Amino acid sequence: MSIHPGTASERRAPDTYTETGAKKRRRSPTRVNPALYLFPLPAVAIIAFFLVMPTLQAFQYAITDWNGFSAAFNYVGLDNFIRAFTKDSLFTNALTNNLKFVLLVVIAQTAFSLILALLLTKNSRGSILLRALFFFPTILSSVSVAFIWKFIYDPNFGLANAALGTVGLDALQGSYLGNNAQALYWVAVTQVWFHAGQMMVVYIAGLQSIPRELYEAAEMDGAGKWQQFKSITWPFVAPATSIVVAYTTVQSFKAFDLILGIAGNPPKSSLDILSTRIYSTFANSEFGYAAAQSIIFMAMIALVTWLQRRLLRLTPKGE
Amino acid sequence: MLASITRRGILAIYAVIIIVPLTVVGFGSFKSTQELFAGPFTLPQSPSPANYAEVIGGQDLGSSFWNSVIVTAVSVPLTLFLASLAGYAVSRLKGFISWAIFGFLVLGMAIPAQANMVPLYVLFGRLGLLDNLTGLILANVVSTLPIAVFILGGFMRTLPRELYEASSIDGTGPWRTYVSIALPLSAPSIAAAAIFLFVIHWNELLYPLLFIQSPGNRTLPLALLSFQGEFQTNYPLLFAGVILASLPVVVAYIFLQRYFVAGITAGASKG
Amino acid sequence: MSQISRRQAMAILGALGFGATAAACAGPGGSTAPGGATGPAAPATGNVTGRVSFAHWRGEDKAVFDELIKRFAAMHDGVEVAQDISTSNDYNAQGLQKVRGAAIGDAFATFRGAQFKNFTEAGIYTELKNSKAVSNYQEGLLSAGKSGESQLGLPYQVVFPMPMANVDLFDKAGADLAPKDWDAFLGMCEKLASSGVVPISWPGGDVGNGGQLFNCMVANNAPVDDMCAQIEQGKLKCTDDWFIKMLNQYKQLVPYLQPNATGTAVEPAQNLFSQGKAAMLATGSYHIAAVRGLGATFPIELVFPNTSDGNGKYEGAYNATFILGVNAASKNQAAAAAWIDFLSEPENAGYYANQTAQHVSVKDVEYTNPDLKRLSPWLDKKTALAARFQFQNLDVRNAVEASATAVISGTSPEQAAEAAQKIVDERL
Repeated sequence: MSIHPGTASERRAPDTYTETGAKKRRRSPTRVNPALYLFPLPAVAIIAFFLVMPTLQAFQYAITDWNGFSAAFNYVGLDNFIRAFTKDSLFTNALTNNLKFVLLVVIAQTAFSLILALLLTKNSRGSILLRALFFFPTILSSVSVAFIWKFIYDPNFGLANAALGTVGLDALQGSYLGNNAQALYWVAVTQVWFHAGQMMVVYIAGLQSIPRELYEAAEMDGAGKWQQFKSITWPFVAPATSIVVAYTTVQSFKAFDLILGIAGNPPKSSLDILSTRIYSTFANSEFGYAAAQSIIFMAMIALVTWLQRRLLRLTPKGE
Repeated sequence: MLASITRRGILAIYAVIIIVPLTVVGFGSFKSTQELFAGPFTLPQSPSPANYAEVIGGQDLGSSFWNSVIVTAVSVPLTLFLASLAGYAVSRLKGFISWAIFGFLVLGMAIPAQANMVPLYVLFGRLGLLDNLTGLILANVVSTLPIAVFILGGFMRTLPRELYEASSIDGTGPWRTYVSIALPLSAPSIAAAAIFLFVIHWNELLYPLLFIQSPGNRTLPLALLSFQGEFQTNYPLLFAGVILASLPVVVAYIFLQRYFVAGITAGASKG
Repeated sequence: MSQISRRQAMAILGALGFGATAAACAGPGGSTAPGGATGPAAPATGNVTGRVSFAHWRGEDKAVFDELIKRFAAMHDGVEVAQDISTSNDYNAQGLQKVRGAAIGDAFATFRGAQFKNFTEAGIYTELKNSKAVSNYQEGLLSAGKSGESQLGLPYQVVFPMPMANVDLFDKAGADLAPKDWDAFLGMCEKLASSGVVPISWPGGDVGNGGQLFNCMVANNAPVDDMCAQIEQGKLKCTDDWFIKMLNQYKQLVPYLQPNATGTAVEPAQNLFSQGKAAMLATGSYHIAAVRGLGATFPIELVFPNTSDGNGKYEGAYNATFILGVNAASKNQAAAAAWIDFLSEPENAGYYANQTAQHVSVKDVEYTNPDLKRLSPWLDKKTALAARFQFQNLDVRNAVEASATAVISGTSPEQAAEAAQKIVDERL
């Protein structure tokens, strides 16, 4: 039982290798066997037919008022999009919730997984065991995690209030998911519990690639722990940070399973996020409107990802 | 010294936050509802497999289990096969076409499943792929093919080109080279991708929720979600279901831990 | 194979892409609903044989239906009924998509209100006006399955979405089981509270169950009987005085609910009641079997939170639901219709009722279950048809009901009403 973060497959950065490969390729005069062009065909066909086409079709659906079962429908232009942004507070509520949720989880999960990674960088037996433990929730299904936490948060018989009662902190007991002002935060806690271990492993791989000599030199210069973190650790884990942030973002945008499991279907509005709202609209037989919402959803993910790239580019890279 | 205490404190608390809920689930699955509510932390007074019996017998979890096994057992190798074929071609082809194919296949990673679920639902309806496992397998393959191509293609490009060239000089076709050189050499990357896909496909919920109609065709996560009856949230029953549904992944995790961590992390890093 | 040139290969790739485009771009629409201008047809007749899928959402009734299926199969050679059960939320959201096309649900049930209407519009029902089954029902309870002149569905169950009471605890506290007005109801809660129990256990964390209380609260407050339909059409508003008054009454209930009520799921709420910690369970009579299953042995009555000042129109609330129908797209309508006929016979309906502790709308049923016997007088009382099922848009229904939950968690009635009305307005 041991965890060695960074096996061959991930420690190699494919891009750098590709470059050398490309150079060699240019030097090589061998002709490519034409049969090779058939190899990617099945994959290309499947992606074209079942991924790209439906996505393009979503745009076609989005300008209709089709209800999903009748033969008749009208083209309504951009009405669905206008409705989503100006005349549907349930949608704007889901959008706000989703952005809030992403922001919360990205910050909390990135910080927490980095802390765990820092505490467990050394490959001691204890560290290895704890890494395995912290990673464990990642392999469970979202539905399982949702059920476990639903019970933790149960205000009357649940673990959280029972634990607080046992240690005499009754004053802190609450109704968790029942409190509309807090519910989203509690689901964010669940999401972090679910995936922090996974992100921790990404960070450990990054931390272990930092040469020890740098710290030794810094210590000789009399730099404190915080100084060392700021000038060595943080810049060196920047690539890991961008991976963690990007993955966490997409993951928390798509927290569909977790929300459905923990809040029921349909979730109440304080826990409604974009993916669950799209599903509700779909279930309400508004196919055209649901497609429009899907497109906005896709655009949001792209926008947030792009913004993050811009922001992270401002931080110095160590390598 | 203080730092060491803080370190131990944080780690211990987080370990408790992970272990305790899992233990409560384990104990709870052997309790009655009353017993669970009376004392969630206690050992079961008279451990009873009744919840497990009910979950397996009464709620069709048995058939869901097999459905999950079938779907995962087909969709993981199929995804790997298609992705490795494409990845291999991309690593051997030159210039623009190589990039175009790779780019086209990998672009799909930017499309979340919810974005095209409505047209996909309609398309599957027309092709008769709703409410059967074939449809689920196809949906799994489609949704994970881009990332699999990314992982495998990325790895195969790093393989030394001389190996391929040696075999072309021998006059072997690309299929032979793929089978006898590219695949074996990519084994670590394929293993990592396989585990990543295994966890995703095994736990997939959205597609079964959308496509599956008959309870006989449910997969485990959907069956688990269905345990919440109309008027009931029977926690001990849910817990037994959670444990049964997680068992294969947990067993695999215990034995193949380093591949798990590598695979899932590779998926995350590349995704 | 190796003769293919690079250009040819690219051409193949391109052609494939265009082919896929053409094939997939059939666009929306296209699947026509059966029925049409002539109105729904009666189910086909023929031999009662083959496989019938019975789609519904009552997982807790599975064993009882299994027994009935056995009896049904004993009467008809070669017939086989399979239950296709979804969760209620899932069935509510996706039932139409699932049953349309009849991959499942040769025979099926729907919820009253929105789902019944959607099924009707999609042409899924057949006409049961002249069926053998229809004559077995109490005339007054059939309306939930009517659409214009047609009797498309048969509402099977009668439930009372009213708080259940632990009679022992009421006796101990000396509390009145039948409060005549709102002050009496609050007085009753006060008595229960001072006897040391939680007066009302309410699963506010569960939209479907927590919302049942709404049926009682709205019944005597609203100026009309179809208040929810009118709210949805914009004729009445959540910001109207009567609605605000109702929300204020919800607010008055807060001290009598269990702590953290808005976060409580169903099962914990049931446990508080079955363990004798709470005197009432504010869900409905459909929970009797579940509560008995959790070990409750005390006598159970129903209590109507009468919101009036003593001259209210109604003494309770009821709902006729689980609307049985035969699928227009089914290939085995004869057997499906026979199954519905079978369920509607008094003897079988009686078996279902007594085993599940739920009343049915079939006539001449003998109730032997002690809880049903005790509650049977409610069948003859002046009860209001549960209002929340008038909503046809689930977003509207959730928003209106959420206003009550919001008030209980501390929002002012005016604010909660405005928030709900905003969502209603957007969907007019």
